[in-house]
Amino acid sequence: MLVLVLGDLHIPHRCSSLPPKFKKLLLPGRIQHILCTGNLCTKESYDYLKTLASDVHVVRGDFDENSTYPEQKVITVGQFRIGLIHGHQVVPWGDEESLALVQRQLDVDILISGHTHRFEAYEHENKFYINPGSATGAYSPLYRNATPSFVLMDIQSSTVVTYVYKLLGDEVKVERIEYKKA
Amino acid sequence: MSLHKARIKAFEDILDEDLVNIEQLQKLAFNGVPDEKGLRSFVWKILLHYIPLEKSAWESTLQKKRQLYQQLINEIIVSPGGPTDHPLNLSPDSSWSTYFKDNEVLLQIDKDVRRLCPDISFFQSATEFPCSEIVNSNGVKRLHKRVEQSVLKYSTLERRGLGVAKLSNEIRRSESITSGDYTPLNEGCEAHWEVVERMLFLYAKLNPGQGYVQGMNEIIGPIYHTFASDCNVNFRKHAEADCFFCFTNLMAEIRDFFIRTLDETESGINYMMTKLCECVKKNDRAVWDRLEKQELRPQYYSFRWLTLLLSQEFSLPDVERIWDSLFADPQRFNSLIYICCAMILLVRDNILNADFASNVKLLQNFPPMDVSLILNKAVEISSG
Repeated sequence: MLVLVLGDLHIPHRCSSLPPKFKKLLLPGRIQHILCTGNLCTKESYDYLKTLASDVHVVRGDFDENSTYPEQKVITVGQFRIGLIHGHQVVPWGDEESLALVQRQLDVDILISGHTHRFEAYEHENKFYINPGSATGAYSPLYRNATPSFVLMDIQSSTVVTYVYKLLGDEVKVERIEYKKA
Repeated sequence: MSLHKARIKAFEDILDEDLVNIEQLQKLAFNGVPDEKGLRSFVWKILLHYIPLEKSAWESTLQKKRQLYQQLINEIIVSPGGPTDHPLNLSPDSSWSTYFKDNEVLLQIDKDVRRLCPDISFFQSATEFPCSEIVNSNGVKRLHKRVEQSVLKYSTLERRGLGVAKLSNEIRRSESITSGDYTPLNEGCEAHWEVVERMLFLYAKLNPGQGYVQGMNEIIGPIYHTFASDCNVNFRKHAEADCFFCFTNLMAEIRDFFIRTLDETESGINYMMTKLCECVKKNDRAVWDRLEKQELRPQYYSFRWLTLLLSQEFSLPDVERIWDSLFADPQRFNSLIYICCAMILLVRDNILNADFASNVKLLQNFPPMDVSLILNKAVEISSG
């Protein structure tokens, strides 16, 4: 099952739109599920995600207009429990130990967070952590020049194949990371 | 010996020969093949050129074809992926982009097989011989899974004031959309409609020039039903493979009906409809005049009759009886024209007395009628 993971778009405040190269890749009909780490920030961006997939899950970021998005969410895909949080609540931002705390609270196999605008994917004590970065490459207080990136997970029975899409210069680079549930 | 037993005996005598006399078999089958002893299922296989005429080659041919079918399943129904490929790959030779393109076809097939013969429960019931590689693949290889609309289960973390944070109960937004009785069966089982779905998908993949066209499901349905209800367990077990090749052979003969660009050619559907019109004109000028005057074009009713070999006009047992005659026709599908013509002539009195609206209705919903009456009339027309 394919699950698209992205967030921190900051449209229109910091960026005008998704990079055209990404838009060209994200065709409707291929993906059914989207997990969004928040900071979309407007309804228009949410509507755009809805055109890509019918099943969209969003958690609230610190700049989201819509305040009805939940703070944290746990989504079940087959054997996997996936935690979703924007990440501004986790201090220090993007810290491994602090995120591990959230992982234990939610009791999830995979924890997805954003906010730092920097792609990250690693295993920590047998759990898998993903930060899809910012899909628009919007600036953040920590990084002036963020690389636009998003993640696509192919979830099979007990493995997750994670594809990372990064816009480097004018080219989209794809990386592949595999995580097996212990 | 009763008449019926004598007919069965006659069939068995022909099939006992070392070399099946095809003319005799065709002549005999034209008047109907008995259902007993799996005769119909076997005779259809011969008439559709699947089983050869030499008895000595029967076993080996069947074995070879069934192996080939298994191989096709293994090669064609695969999960996409590869170390250098990725799901959003737009290049045409990516396995993912082929996968998504196939899913578009599959979506249509999936919709159509789920409305196959809703008046009988056969297609919704589980098959005795599911394809084990598919049904035990944890759902990965099951075709309907690929086009299923689903939503993920989720729960949200709630915190009231300064109180404890608590995960809400799991919320299931409206269950994946299931269509009535045609729900997929659990791991390890599959329903007959899933088998039909697989055959049609393989056919579409192997015939990219033609692909899948709506209506093919109605052609394959009666063949599969006949084969899968064979009383001989050895044939029932391989109904899927046998049906696939018989369907392929049959489609080779009628495929031009399903290709729009060939509509005007000699094998196309328009030519068939013109032939039907001429047949009516020759045999019953009054009816033809009437239809002509009312501008009731053959397209309005006979398009479906001809492309789907009358499978929509009658109940399944009657369709199977009609197909005995169609398949037995050495010049397929001349008898189809005669049968359609007979159908029109048999309701001539109604046509001559009714107006355009009721005539269209009459021909589009052909009244239930004894098929032997129609077939006798068709024979009369063909010899006249």
